[in-house]
Amino acid sequence: MNTFLNNFPILAIMILFVGAFVTSLVGRRSALARNGVVLVSMTAALAMMLALVKPVLLDGQIITYWLGNWEPVEGWAFGICLEVDALSLFFGLIVTVAVFVSGVYSFTYMNHDDSLVNYYTLFLMLSGSVLGLVLSGDLFNIFVMVEIMTFTAVALTAFRNTYEGALEGALKYLVVGSLGSTSLLVGIAMLYSQLHTLNLAQISALIPGQGANPVIIAAFAFLFMGFATKAFLFPFQPLAADAHAVAPASISLMISGVLTKCGVYGIIRLCYVLYENLNQPLVQYLVTGFGAVSMFICVTMAFNQHNFKRLLAFHSISQVGYVITAVGLGSALGVSAGLYHAMNHTIFKGLLFLTAGAVQHQTGSLDLDSLGGLSKRMPRTTLLFLIGAASISGLPPFNGFASKWMIYQAAFQRGAATGNFFFLFVCIVALITSVLTLASFIKVAQSVFFGQLPEQYKEVKEVPLAMRIPMWILAVLCIVTGLFPTQVQNYLLLPATSAAFNAANYIDQAMGLGYAAAHGIATGGVAGLMVSDCWNPTSWLMLLFCITCAVAIVALLASPNDLKDAHISSCDEQAEVLDAKYESFFSGEESVYSQVGGSDLFWGFKHNWRKYFSYMHDWHSGIVNDYTLYGVVAIAFVLLACIILL
Amino acid sequence: MNVLLSSLFHVLIFPGLLFCVVMGVLLSGLDRIWVARMQRRVGPPLLQSWYDFLKCCGKETIVPRHAKKAVYFAAPVVGFAALISISLFLPIAGGKPAYSGTADLVVILYLLTLVSVCTIVGASASGSPFAGVGLSREMVAMISYELPFVLVILAVSRAILAPGDSLNNIFSLQAIADYQAANGPLITRWALIPAAIAMLFVIPCEVGMHPFDVAEAETEICEGTLAEYSGPPLAVFRLTHMVKMFIMTALFCVLFLGGITTGIAVLDVILFVLFCLILTFLTMSLPHGACARFKVEQVFKFYWTVVAGLAALSLILVWLGL
Amino acid sequence: MFEKLIDNSMAKSPWIFHINAGSCNGCDIELVSVLTPRYDAERLGFRLTGTPRQADIVVVSGPITLQTRDRLVRTLAQVPEPRVVVSLGSCPRSGNVFKGSYAIDGPLEKYTHVDVSVGGCTPKPEAIIAALAKATEILKEKRKEMHK
Repeated sequence: MNTFLNNFPILAIMILFVGAFVTSLVGRRSALARNGVVLVSMTAALAMMLALVKPVLLDGQIITYWLGNWEPVEGWAFGICLEVDALSLFFGLIVTVAVFVSGVYSFTYMNHDDSLVNYYTLFLMLSGSVLGLVLSGDLFNIFVMVEIMTFTAVALTAFRNTYEGALEGALKYLVVGSLGSTSLLVGIAMLYSQLHTLNLAQISALIPGQGANPVIIAAFAFLFMGFATKAFLFPFQPLAADAHAVAPASISLMISGVLTKCGVYGIIRLCYVLYENLNQPLVQYLVTGFGAVSMFICVTMAFNQHNFKRLLAFHSISQVGYVITAVGLGSALGVSAGLYHAMNHTIFKGLLFLTAGAVQHQTGSLDLDSLGGLSKRMPRTTLLFLIGAASISGLPPFNGFASKWMIYQAAFQRGAATGNFFFLFVCIVALITSVLTLASFIKVAQSVFFGQLPEQYKEVKEVPLAMRIPMWILAVLCIVTGLFPTQVQNYLLLPATSAAFNAANYIDQAMGLGYAAAHGIATGGVAGLMVSDCWNPTSWLMLLFCITCAVAIVALLASPNDLKDAHISSCDEQAEVLDAKYESFFSGEESVYSQVGGSDLFWGFKHNWRKYFSYMHDWHSGIVNDYTLYGVVAIAFVLLACIILL
Repeated sequence: MNVLLSSLFHVLIFPGLLFCVVMGVLLSGLDRIWVARMQRRVGPPLLQSWYDFLKCCGKETIVPRHAKKAVYFAAPVVGFAALISISLFLPIAGGKPAYSGTADLVVILYLLTLVSVCTIVGASASGSPFAGVGLSREMVAMISYELPFVLVILAVSRAILAPGDSLNNIFSLQAIADYQAANGPLITRWALIPAAIAMLFVIPCEVGMHPFDVAEAETEICEGTLAEYSGPPLAVFRLTHMVKMFIMTALFCVLFLGGITTGIAVLDVILFVLFCLILTFLTMSLPHGACARFKVEQVFKFYWTVVAGLAALSLILVWLGL
Repeated sequence: MFEKLIDNSMAKSPWIFHINAGSCNGCDIELVSVLTPRYDAERLGFRLTGTPRQADIVVVSGPITLQTRDRLVRTLAQVPEPRVVVSLGSCPRSGNVFKGSYAIDGPLEKYTHVDVSVGGCTPKPEAIIAALAKATEILKEKRKEMHK
């Protein structure tokens, strides 16, 4: 093992934290120095993660780093360790890319705000803590990172504290987020009391020897719910909506693209490596069930939103629901589908949040009922939004399609293999959720970007290039990961999935060879893990291109004159006197401003579901006490279910 | 070279562009004649839809002031191309599909969605309030038929799985065609008959035929999604509508009527066309002649209760191994 | 290459948009009756469309009241070329019994070139069909002029 590369995980984390402190030192003097420090630390972290790709993802090594060189003694891990296997690195890559994009975006996006030093300090601390979480090999370290993450995220949510609801959203996040952290802490304490260690690898090795120890099982329930809170799974989804709606767009990207991924990472690590219990039906039902419920409830809630970012927030949870559903299936295909979707979700949801931020930055509004027709003024943002919307709705050939397709296949396979109606039902819910997702992005497209431009937005300008570049990075990633699913599978998903299924290797690398075998952990079945074939978007795209060309040629042959003297007539945009010919047909009336959009759009659907919607409306009361109660009830439910049935 | 030529042949002639357009014109022409006959009229000539298409090509295109020009022109073409590309996934008349991916059924499901999305986005980009109402209805109609459609797809995919089969090939149309070639058409399995009926209902709504053409109601919302379209883009939308009739009926044939073969390729294709004609009459002309247009909330209710119920019944039966 | 085909189709698929400019509903009903099984104008490819953007033939009935005048002009402007305007019944061409009323501002010629005019209060369906058939020929001629 290359000793130099060995230091990269800790360096990547430290450089972000050090960057945070340096920012607060130099940032007050010069904005340039501040931005420089932020950029350097983000880039360095990203570069280090990329440098680890070859040994970890391609060669399948596991990098272990013991802080202060406190290696395990006689099979007991005392020191704190960082352990980077393919799974950790996969999430590490997601995190650093998202951090990089979000940081670059902030440079221009945040220029209306003041006290930016605080913003960047908190931002880098948030980034460092998240990276620390996914690379850590120590359970208590994970808790510490979760705490830093939660508190910085809360502070950043309330950063624009002049916004209506900013403090309220942050407070809700704080209170219910603490519930999740507490749940994690209780789980960790229980594990420590039983196993006397905090090292992930060692815990993983010791748990099977405990048999049906109820304390260990209760710890599972607490840890699961702790991570579920961090991923904002049902019933914690109202928090995300409140927080996202008021947070700056770059922070929304972090919350939805990065923080929720920590929850996902935690659940995968917990269920696959720590407990290795996803072969038990109850755990499958539990995880998949939580995922499916979040997926469905959040997508229907998104129907009712009037605020662009609140809508995106609900979709964010809905997509995380997809991820958790796939992960809970317990099959290799499921895990790789889940990981794929997790990655894609960061990319397309990040893109969508950034376009929302662009709209907010240029118009000052996020209200779906008052915006409209921005495609005329912000054509590039519109294109970016359409790419993001097509990806999240799973339209081919974008990345959302490839991953959702794997999820359906995984769910159906699981159902067909077990003959279980539950998985079939999950598959149906996933398919329907997809079309509902599409519907609500149609709503956004119609009410923000298309239709008629309101009078007060006549002078709106396109966002500056500095904000479009980060968006383009994500948009290109959307297309690339969608066009080459086979490569993504081979180079990213397969190593990460094998790592999830190979707990023994994880243990051995940390605790010394043979430790896993000594504790009866079988070497993971990496063989036969090959995921089924992918569809081939590139050749489909060529077909599409051929047909489009054919249509175009026929059209050219058909009307050579039409092209010359153009039977296409469009109006002069600058004309003072409006020509009636180019006005919208209004049954002959004078065309007035009329925009069909916002909340009225899917009346036919909402009418039939009015009872459900009014129930959900009451349920999302906005009262923090209620949300805490839901959280406590959910934790109690999972605890009881686990203890009684496991 | 040969590969290139054969794929060009597939894309442009059979079963691609030319065949689809011919079939679309034929089916929609016959549909209009049948509806006319049901109303005791003579009806238009067989090629009427073709004349409509050509005429629209020759008209002026007025781009409205509120329209986003690029999207306004791109949407119909992309939608049409996506629709034609579906035909390449279909194993028409017992043959091999021209282009086989894996899990073609999911791809087809989403390509059909893409076609509707192109209509919707085009309508949205035209900036008309009537189109706004139209696209909202189109989307609700889409949500309506998507549930039964999904259930039918799942039922069929499950029905062809024998115990011990590899699960890597699910959702594959080729596998469905092969199964039917070996075991006879799936419609003869009684457990799948409700699914077939549900699929018959899905066809007209997916195509947007009367009485389910809520999105293009010309009397109430001025052609809805197409309110601001004129000239060649409108012509392409019209053509998309016609070809969709063929694609949907062909999909039904592939799913439920596969494996009926005479052994001669040409006869097989004629038989296939015949099935498409019968299906067009059953699913589109008959309801058109018999019913008045539904309201959009009625469409939703009907599809999520009755039609989805039928499809779910089939799915449960199949899942239980019947 | 396809110009000739398109020109011929222009005569075979005329879509009608109907504007009621204050008509008493008599002519409107007769126009609809043209599409009924008895007369079946769909034989000739006629179809009523809901938006002027898709129309080839604009049929105007009624004496052009002050209330409908601006709406009529606006709607006529929105019909793409080539288009044919047909005036239906006596009202649009002369004002009929409403002539001289303070509330009407006819005839239709004041606002647009009328290609075909059908007289009668109300015209017989046969006459309307004959007028529409005439209009399709004019439509074809106009199309030919467009690409000359």
